[in-house]
Amino acid sequence: MAAAVAMAALCRRFTAALRLSGARPGSTLAGLPGLRLNLFHKNLAKAEPLHQLKFLHTTLSRKGLEEFFDDPRNWGEKTVKSGDAWNIKQLRGKSSEDLHKLWYVLLKEKNMLLTLEQESKRQLKPMPSPERLEKVEKSMKNIDLVVKEREIALRLLQTGHEKPVPGEWRHDFLGRTYWYSYKEWPIPWYLNKKYKRRKFYYLPHVDRFIRLRLEKSLRIKARRQNLERTRQKVLERKFPHLAVKSQSQ
Amino acid sequence: MRLSALLCAGRLRLPAGYRHGTWRPGTAAAQLRNPPGLRRRKIFVEPIAREDWKVFRGDTVQVLTGKDAGKQAMVTQVVRARNWVVVEGLNTHYRYVNRTTKYAGTYIASEAPLLLNQISLVDPEDRKPTEVEWRYTEEGERVRVSLRSGRIIPLPLRQRWDGIVPEQWIDGPKDTTVEDALDKTYLPSLKTFEEEIMDAMGIVETRRAKKSYWY
Repeated sequence: MAAAVAMAALCRRFTAALRLSGARPGSTLAGLPGLRLNLFHKNLAKAEPLHQLKFLHTTLSRKGLEEFFDDPRNWGEKTVKSGDAWNIKQLRGKSSEDLHKLWYVLLKEKNMLLTLEQESKRQLKPMPSPERLEKVEKSMKNIDLVVKEREIALRLLQTGHEKPVPGEWRHDFLGRTYWYSYKEWPIPWYLNKKYKRRKFYYLPHVDRFIRLRLEKSLRIKARRQNLERTRQKVLERKFPHLAVKSQSQ
Repeated sequence: MRLSALLCAGRLRLPAGYRHGTWRPGTAAAQLRNPPGLRRRKIFVEPIAREDWKVFRGDTVQVLTGKDAGKQAMVTQVVRARNWVVVEGLNTHYRYVNRTTKYAGTYIASEAPLLLNQISLVDPEDRKPTEVEWRYTEEGERVRVSLRSGRIIPLPLRQRWDGIVPEQWIDGPKDTTVEDALDKTYLPSLKTFEEEIMDAMGIVETRRAKKSYWY
């Protein structure tokens, strides 16, 4: 109850700060003792070298909801300084533990920025420094890529396969060939009614349509090649030096 | 390595006969002038390879033909799709902007783009137009060299998209220091990411997976 009241007070102050841009809630933080100190600790923790951090399970007051908001010193600012996103090259040199921790740090930062974005939309104000969100998303995407790369490398070593899920080339009822990737089922295929209804074969009358499809694709390819040739001829007519270069080559 | 290269190719997809102008393709002005379904006569542009492009924003160039022939100025915009270069203050025509029903509008000079063959890069010491070529220095750096005198034309300074100047940067509370970012903690092992995390967190999986079928 007290926590909810305190949280409501916090939200009100946050919105007030966004409304009066430039007004700093410096002295008003006395209403919530310990808030600024806790947040400051959090920020210091992020700046420490990652491999020295133990897992953060600090039990903060106010149920940790203040992590959805930025450092109170940045409330009301028009721009907030932020560094570059994490590069793939830098992330490739980090251990799995570090990447795991970094992912959650970035996730919390992303939640904070999304809250800020939504609040700015609600108040019809521009979000301060929206490029922070792009940088966080880029960093998270890079971490995902690095983990995927390592997984693929290990799988190639151990099994020789690149894809995580096995599959094969199959036909559909229209005669087209496509890559069918296997799915995980709890029952074998001969007991699976839904699977047995699917047709991975085609009947003989479809052969004619396969030929027509092939002819259509060949026609499209020929049209594209002819278009390229005519375009090249027009270019050579307009810019004669291109014709000379192609002849010398 | 391959995966990253594949996924980095997600760029803006423009329609087939898109006519590029001096405006950026995503902006409101571009959408007004190039609505979806618009088909205009194709403009043939001399194909120049990406590596052979010589003129960049911030370069000093001299205009060779037209109204302002012989004058030098800085390049403010480059449109590679049409081999265009917009030079500051040169090749201008006049128009009214911010016109309303009551106000006639401000009369301003707006620059028209110039093609690459109407432009020439300028030797830094001579300050005369020269032909330029891409060559490699002894260190292996790729530079533009003026063919007449052999002097190197330095590349103009490029600002970062977020406005950060790396030399003047001071880390904030949420930034990792350079040493920590470049610190290599990775030890290659034959364990997957999930297994390594489980080891580090002391999670032991005692449950057995039920038999499942893959087809």
